[in-house]
Amino acid sequence: MTSPAVPVVRVAPIPKQKRQTFVQWLKSNGWRHAIAWVAVAFAVTPVLWVVSAAFTTNPTISSGSLIPTDPTLDNFKRLLNNPDQPYVNWYVNTMLLAIIVALFTVLIGAGAAYAFSRFRFKGRKVGLMFLLLVQMFPQFLALVAIYLIMAQVSDVFSGIGLDSLIGLGLVYLGGAMGINAWLIKGFFDTIPMEIDESAKVDGASHGQIFWGIILPLAAPVLAVVGLLSVIFTINEFVIASALLQSPQKLTLAVGLQQFIGEKYSENWGPFAAGALLAAIPVVLLFIFLQRFIVGGLTQGSVKG
Amino acid sequence: MAELVLTEIDKVYDNGFYAVKDLSLDVADGEFLVLVGPSGCGKTTALRMVAGLEDITDGTVAIGGKVVNDIGPRDRNIAMVFQSYALYPHMTVGENIGFGLALRHEGKAEIKEKVDRAGRLLDLTSMLTRKPKQLSGGQRQRVAMGRAIVRDAELFLMDEPLSNLDAKLRVQMRAEIASLQRDLGITTVYVTHDQVEAMTMGHRVAVMRLGELQQVAPPQDLYDNPDNIFVAGFIGTPPMTLMHAILNVEGDSAGLRIGSQYLPIPRSVVDARADLVAKNGQEIIVGLRAEDIFHEQREGSHPLEVTVVLSEALGSSVHLTFGLAGTPVDEMRLGSGLAKEEEQELTRLGHSKEIEGVAVFPPRLEFRTGDAITVYANGSRLHFFDVESGHALR
Repeated sequence: MTSPAVPVVRVAPIPKQKRQTFVQWLKSNGWRHAIAWVAVAFAVTPVLWVVSAAFTTNPTISSGSLIPTDPTLDNFKRLLNNPDQPYVNWYVNTMLLAIIVALFTVLIGAGAAYAFSRFRFKGRKVGLMFLLLVQMFPQFLALVAIYLIMAQVSDVFSGIGLDSLIGLGLVYLGGAMGINAWLIKGFFDTIPMEIDESAKVDGASHGQIFWGIILPLAAPVLAVVGLLSVIFTINEFVIASALLQSPQKLTLAVGLQQFIGEKYSENWGPFAAGALLAAIPVVLLFIFLQRFIVGGLTQGSVKG
Repeated sequence: MAELVLTEIDKVYDNGFYAVKDLSLDVADGEFLVLVGPSGCGKTTALRMVAGLEDITDGTVAIGGKVVNDIGPRDRNIAMVFQSYALYPHMTVGENIGFGLALRHEGKAEIKEKVDRAGRLLDLTSMLTRKPKQLSGGQRQRVAMGRAIVRDAELFLMDEPLSNLDAKLRVQMRAEIASLQRDLGITTVYVTHDQVEAMTMGHRVAVMRLGELQQVAPPQDLYDNPDNIFVAGFIGTPPMTLMHAILNVEGDSAGLRIGSQYLPIPRSVVDARADLVAKNGQEIIVGLRAEDIFHEQREGSHPLEVTVVLSEALGSSVHLTFGLAGTPVDEMRLGSGLAKEEEQELTRLGHSKEIEGVAVFPPRLEFRTGDAITVYANGSRLHFFDVESGHALR
């Protein structure tokens, strides 16, 4: 007896994956890697240099090596224990100023934007154009005028005039208002009017719509505006250096400049240490705000 | 719960455009009124004026006997469902539904209870903690409904709430909304451009055109006795076939001359309409419903020679678009102020010399485009309108 014939099933062989040659890889993907590495080097080198300088005693600009041979905290000690240059004061000044200015920038900008986006009133278009026009000129063009105004304000209210952080904050607020109102208005315009109307019918007042509906939905743009404002305040030099005088009232930008401005190259170490410390809160803020800067927040509100 | 009374309300834009003109409407307590019309007819504007989202140029809106012209939307105690749903994307379904209650400072436990009840009613119980973007279109629509029913509003306003749903879901939600309204008994104004919604959902239907109210009547009444040719042409799918004809009454017989053809009608049909009797020998407009045209001879029907323009087999029936020699009616032009001479001029220029009509025939009948065929019109179920004004001759 023969066993029944087993049908032969022919399976087509799985074609072997052709290995990419290096040249092919370079053409398809490799060049992207090359560009990415150049970009990374471009971004990281200065940071590395500052970190290195901060931990090296008496570094020079030209001869500093990227990896400190003999890491030390001397620079930080010198930075923090110099009564002529009260770094801690500057630090606190700058951070408080940056946060408060950012907060008010966001609030004022959002308020103006809400009005421009949602209300129809006489002078709305003209007002929008005017804000844009004013914004075309850099703020320090008005430095002389600002200085004179602040000097006169000092005569009446010394608390918010020259050599006052509150005064400086007010100047910053005025300068940044226009562009922020535009930026936020652009975002508000993308939030459908029907959401407002629906809330109105539900019984919400303008205030409740603004705080309860619009602001939460506009979180991404508010985070961006706030972040930009913080960075601007920390970096701003021209106006701060003109308005602030007392050593203990300076901001970081003005104060740190003293390390390198007068006796050239002598104090790069403490300068680098100071800059490094100043960068920490900005980076932390960035990480914290990142989750708010997400698109698609209004998704799912209207239409199917 | 309350009645809604609109008294000669106007909406005029800055450029002088009348979006709504002299609109007067009474909506009884607990009534479901459907506001229907083509796009741009002012129906949504009228609804938004009732809601308080648009200013009222002239006239008054009264809810529950109280004039609300100067009262903001938040104090009118109304609930509105928007075409786009307009859910709050950053809130959960439960928060969306309870938002209006929270604004009215109701207690947490009370809000939860009401939201849960609305959730049960709308089959949303398992979704209450989700965000709107995690829901399907139909579920979002139900959330929008929930937001409306959770508050004990006096008036429901709905602005084309089903137009973003797919066809099947629309049928389902249509029935749900209608039954919900019946159960709750809340006065409702429902805006739509959808024929079927208009016919099936409301107690009464108000037809608008170019900002003006054309007719308010129960759906079947509207279908059977349209006040003018606009309502006649707008209500009903497929639309009523409208054509110019000359009325001829002689002795016991009566008939219509349509182009070169003659359609006999019972004398009693003419006699029942005093306005029509006076039009003997004159041109009138005649309307014929698609279901009153047959493919075979029946009692009381008379032949008309037509040519086949298009035959659409829908499975359950065949929609036959046919051409009929004669003068067609452009109901958009009629009554809109265009002089008769202009119309005749357009006709002379060969604008259109053929009446186009639609008939609904039983399934599996086949027609070829261009064929000359005979159809049979029911002479006793005709509609008659005045040539000048477009009003029904009764």
